[in-house]
Amino acid sequence: MGLQMFVNALLLGGLYALMGIGFSLQWGISGIINLSYGAMVVLGSYLSLIIFNLLRIDPFISMFFSGAILFFLGAFVYRFSLQPLLKGGIVFTLIITFAIRLVLENIILLVWSADYRTIRLTYAGSNFRFFEAFIPLTKFITFIIALILVYLTYLFMMNTKVGKGIQAVALDKEGAEAVGVDVQKMYLINFALGTALAGITGSLWASIYSFSPHVMNVIIGKVFIIAILGGLGNIWGAAAGGLLLGIAETSGATFLGSQWQEALGLVIMVTVLLFRPHGLIGKKFFG
Amino acid sequence: MLVRDEGNFSKSINLIIIAVTIIVLLLLPRYISGYYIRLFTAIFMYASIAQAFNLMSGYMGYIPFGHVMFFGIGAYVTAIFMGRGLNFIVAILLAALVAVITSVILGFPVLRLRGHYFAIATIGMNGALMSVVQNFTDITGGAMGTTLPIIAKPPALVYNYFYLAMFSLMVFTTLLVYFIIHSKFGYAIRSIKANEDAANSMGINTTSTKVITWAIAALFTSLAGSLYGYWMSFIAPEEVFNVMISVNTIVMMLIGGAGTILGPILGSFIIEVVSEFAWSGFMEYHLAALGIATIIIVFFVPRGLVGTIADLRNRKMVKIKQ
Repeated sequence: MGLQMFVNALLLGGLYALMGIGFSLQWGISGIINLSYGAMVVLGSYLSLIIFNLLRIDPFISMFFSGAILFFLGAFVYRFSLQPLLKGGIVFTLIITFAIRLVLENIILLVWSADYRTIRLTYAGSNFRFFEAFIPLTKFITFIIALILVYLTYLFMMNTKVGKGIQAVALDKEGAEAVGVDVQKMYLINFALGTALAGITGSLWASIYSFSPHVMNVIIGKVFIIAILGGLGNIWGAAAGGLLLGIAETSGATFLGSQWQEALGLVIMVTVLLFRPHGLIGKKFFG
Repeated sequence: MLVRDEGNFSKSINLIIIAVTIIVLLLLPRYISGYYIRLFTAIFMYASIAQAFNLMSGYMGYIPFGHVMFFGIGAYVTAIFMGRGLNFIVAILLAALVAVITSVILGFPVLRLRGHYFAIATIGMNGALMSVVQNFTDITGGAMGTTLPIIAKPPALVYNYFYLAMFSLMVFTTLLVYFIIHSKFGYAIRSIKANEDAANSMGINTTSTKVITWAIAALFTSLAGSLYGYWMSFIAPEEVFNVMISVNTIVMMLIGGAGTILGPILGSFIIEVVSEFAWSGFMEYHLAALGIATIIIVFFVPRGLVGTIADLRNRKMVKIKQ
């Protein structure tokens, strides 16, 4: 029982970690609280659904497609609606991203209706044993992919020229500008990278859970908690925040009952905000 | 009132315009159908909440995204007490008291946060409160919602009653915000928006200023919530704790002009009429229409209507002086 609960928490946390990183990067580095993040995740799920229905290709492969589409959508949204208004402060970015969420939600509702959809994989029911715990195969694959992607994002940030540029901008905007980094370009790439991660998360989500436009509300609530637990813009922090939320939700559902799951996450978030505004995990990220 | 540095002459003209508007709006329900009475009641309700938002963000610079929680508290506490057989006036006052106490208790810790963090913490609190309401089924009726007693009078009369009640709330809220802003306390509020640390070092007790301002905003919002609950006579947690209400009122405040007295009223009028039209005209695209309209508004009138008009007037005055 104990092991099973731990395994469940870990599997859930892996997906949460990936889900939170994009949001955390957008907030922490580009300075935008992306209220359309949930809609973007769900859009990724629906893109995988299209591909699955047309070509019978798994979400685990079509996630690259979702990621690519969402990358360009993110770049477009940033360039044409957020970048011109950055000086206006947080009210504007909050309102604009919420408006984008409304537009995306409307598109999803028109094309796919409000019904719950699922992608039924042929091996969805199979699982394997790990000591006394049962591990569903799809959840396991999702977990592994999520870990790989988190690590790849980290490598991208640390080892590529663009990644280093983004870090430089996060560390010191003026300083980066002075040594020739194109600040707005870095913000744009960072934002688009975040939405790409949202799209990939959506595809992975679709391989495990059913989804509907309503799911975007659930997701936006979770990514807030994850980002704040981990500290903004911090990749490993967000990963740890995701795992922590997975553990909190799973144990909360076991000990308090599943109806308190959401409230528990929110209470943890507000508490962390009040006592450790830079996140539970160590120090503040750059700048 | 639109522009502060005006002569006595235009000031008295403004007063006359406002008085005439108030009288017209008071007499209006005699001449319009129930549909429009309902629409106007909603406009007055949103204007009151937008005014509360205006006090918090337009003047003080704090954005309580989860402020809708006080709307929910107002509606639910009223419903609970009326369910126990209390009279509406007593219930609405108790609801306001609960909202103010909640805002003070939450305000001390949460108002230490700034910017994004404050906005997000209030969203979190709102969500947690909604969960509590959904799960204490015995008291609140749970996620399915709860009912309030229906007034045993002809519907037309009841609609008139709520029209007048919401209208009075709007006028009361606006007047109070006006007097607060032009008092010494109001200068403290505005100094927080300009520079909180500087205000603090000038000897303004920023903590208590912020908490009191939030409590006032919570009071107005809870009164609007109570009236809304009694008006609808059915409320559900997903409805009265919906962050969409906050977002709507922020958009109203922005389009009318944040940090102006008449802005929120104008904004709620415009947005309510536009979204009513969007609902009836092209229901399927209603969300997208609202979203796109919001983006356009933020792009082209970032200072809001009242602010933009004031800018234009000022520019004209400068030209004349030159």
